Amino acid sequence: MDFSLLTTEILVALIGLLVLVVGLVLPDRGKQLVGKLSLLALAIVLVYALIAFPREASYFNGIYQVDVFGNYFKILFLIAGILVMLSASKYIKRFAAKSSEFYGLMILATLGMMVLSASGDFITMYIGLELMTISFYILTAYLQSDKRSSEAGLKYLILGAISSAVLLFGMSLVYAMTGTTIISEIAGAWTMQPAMAAGLVMIIAGFAFKISVIPFHMWAPDIYQGAPIPVTTYLAVGSKAAAFAALVRVFMLAFPPGSISFNWNIILAVLAVLTMVIGNLIALTQKNVKRLLAYSSIAQAGYILVGLVAANTYGLKGVLFYAMLYVFSNTGAFAVATAVEVDAGSTDIDAFNGLAKRSPMLAAIMTVCMLSLAGIPPMAGFVGKFYLFSGAIQAGYLWVAIIGLVMSMVSVYYYLGVAKAMYIGVSIDENPIKLDVPAQMALWACLAGTLLIGIYPGPLSNFVQTAISMFL
Amino acid sequence: MLSDYSSIGIFLLLTISFPVIALVMAWMVRPKPKQTEEKLTTYECGVDTKGKTWIRFRVNYFLYALVFLAFDVETIFLFPWAVKFNSLGLFAFIEMVIFIAILVIGLWYAWREGALEWH
Amino acid sequence: MIGLTHYLLLGTVVFCIGLFGVLSKRNAIAVLMSVELMLNAVNINFVAINKFITPNDVTGQLFSIFVIVVAAAEVAVGLALIISIYRHRKSVDLNDFNLLKW
Repeated sequence: MDFSLLTTEILVALIGLLVLVVGLVLPDRGKQLVGKLSLLALAIVLVYALIAFPREASYFNGIYQVDVFGNYFKILFLIAGILVMLSASKYIKRFAAKSSEFYGLMILATLGMMVLSASGDFITMYIGLELMTISFYILTAYLQSDKRSSEAGLKYLILGAISSAVLLFGMSLVYAMTGTTIISEIAGAWTMQPAMAAGLVMIIAGFAFKISVIPFHMWAPDIYQGAPIPVTTYLAVGSKAAAFAALVRVFMLAFPPGSISFNWNIILAVLAVLTMVIGNLIALTQKNVKRLLAYSSIAQAGYILVGLVAANTYGLKGVLFYAMLYVFSNTGAFAVATAVEVDAGSTDIDAFNGLAKRSPMLAAIMTVCMLSLAGIPPMAGFVGKFYLFSGAIQAGYLWVAIIGLVMSMVSVYYYLGVAKAMYIGVSIDENPIKLDVPAQMALWACLAGTLLIGIYPGPLSNFVQTAISMFL
Repeated sequence: MLSDYSSIGIFLLLTISFPVIALVMAWMVRPKPKQTEEKLTTYECGVDTKGKTWIRFRVNYFLYALVFLAFDVETIFLFPWAVKFNSLGLFAFIEMVIFIAILVIGLWYAWREGALEWH
Repeated sequence: MIGLTHYLLLGTVVFCIGLFGVLSKRNAIAVLMSVELMLNAVNINFVAINKFITPNDVTGQLFSIFVIVVAAAEVAVGLALIISIYRHRKSVDLNDFNLLKW
């Protein structure tokens, strides 16, 4: 068997362990070294992953799939991980002696996401999912001096464990009806029976929890607010994309639309509409930017879900495209929020007052990223939403697309609320916010990504087209 | 159908009757002296209990338990491997060495963090 | 004859007991135990399905081994989090710890 195609995963696992060991061996836990080491190593892996993108292989009778779809998501997770770690470089000082474990856990969470997006059967999927979420449980509770952080961690753990139990029960029912856990074999082996429908609904519920779709969203705002901001960013960007990757793979391969009597699209359509409407409406009332971004990312999950509802070329293209631009836009917005929190100690909307005068660049990046999330051209979000909603219209879900469009317009209101505070609000403190070099790099990368993808979407669009070719 | 359940029932009766028979036999053959105060205290060889039995354990005890739990359960993977050791060959052996190496790093970490020290 | 249905019913009942425990208990440790119950219900399902539907391979048993291991890791993290919260609040009494309401 040729294991060279697993190099990406093996390297990431090695880096994760290495970072832990370096923290143990070096005096003072190698504080300075660990961050640079893991960033550099991840950057090298990213380059390798880009080169290895077109390679395909199947391991152990198809339980682990190396394919373009998975490779696309691996690249996405690496980019997200690098951006988050860069933007967090100053924030991490709060963890004092525990910074090497922080990097180690972030890298292991990335590994979990990779396994999740490349899994060809339920066992691998479960292992990847849990590697990701268990790392996140610890990361969420990482601020030991903050009561809210550890409480958020415990909440996330209990709710997350329930959701994986439900997911597993659904998987066991599907296994009972088909006699296999390998996703591509399920496609030919199943018949529609009540137990099968129950299993599918439970699988949808389990994944819906991970992507925080309403009504399975109740954990998200609390955990997003309680967790350290870098973790929140990664949770919103990476963990969500990974769950989407697994969801797309399960539903497009095991239960391809059209060929079956069970119409899962309509279930997802209802969930997507609920998520877009309620997520955006609750976001309108938020006074804390961290919480506002939490609800906005719930709503964003609804938009992405529309693409899976459509389940055609445009829709799937939209899912992958949006997941990528979401990495840049959302990380950008969160990175500015991180900078403000490090400076002011709070993320209330008042802390953003007069930011445009203090640090015009930060305010500009925040505005661009938020407009992208709202879907205003020429930012990247517009192109993504264009794909998602035209996919939905093509597949006959006009009502879903219309609700999505209306809710995007509603979302402009609260995004501009933050912009208003930044440009019109008056701040007592006139000093510019100081940023260190890594955070600046992350911010510039986010800005460049958001604008480039928006103005010149061709290359990414082609990239995505290749990645989804296996489903159509 | 019925015969399946009846075998369960017979097992149930047997398992209940064993302790009952043992206790009844002991009661029948044992001498029955008059109850004195000495007779009613805790069994002669034991030490008198002090305080309540519902005490709280130190948090450190849980740390041991956690480390033990993690490593104890991981060994579940060693069993299928050990049973099939001869037919799996060298490759599986190397895989298992890697697996154990990862566990050892975890143990090393717990050690360095002081989870194994009793303060 | 004890068949697959009986095992699946047992699994479902245990799962529901666990779910009830999770939703009704206010004690963090008890909630963790209930979660374990839910995961063990899944294990019963997998092993039974393996025995009755695919007796020639071991996929279901493998799955349950993985579930056991991951559940142990999950509970270890959960207990560690509970300990860290106790240290923070200078209390080990679970009844004082009533912020777990959602």
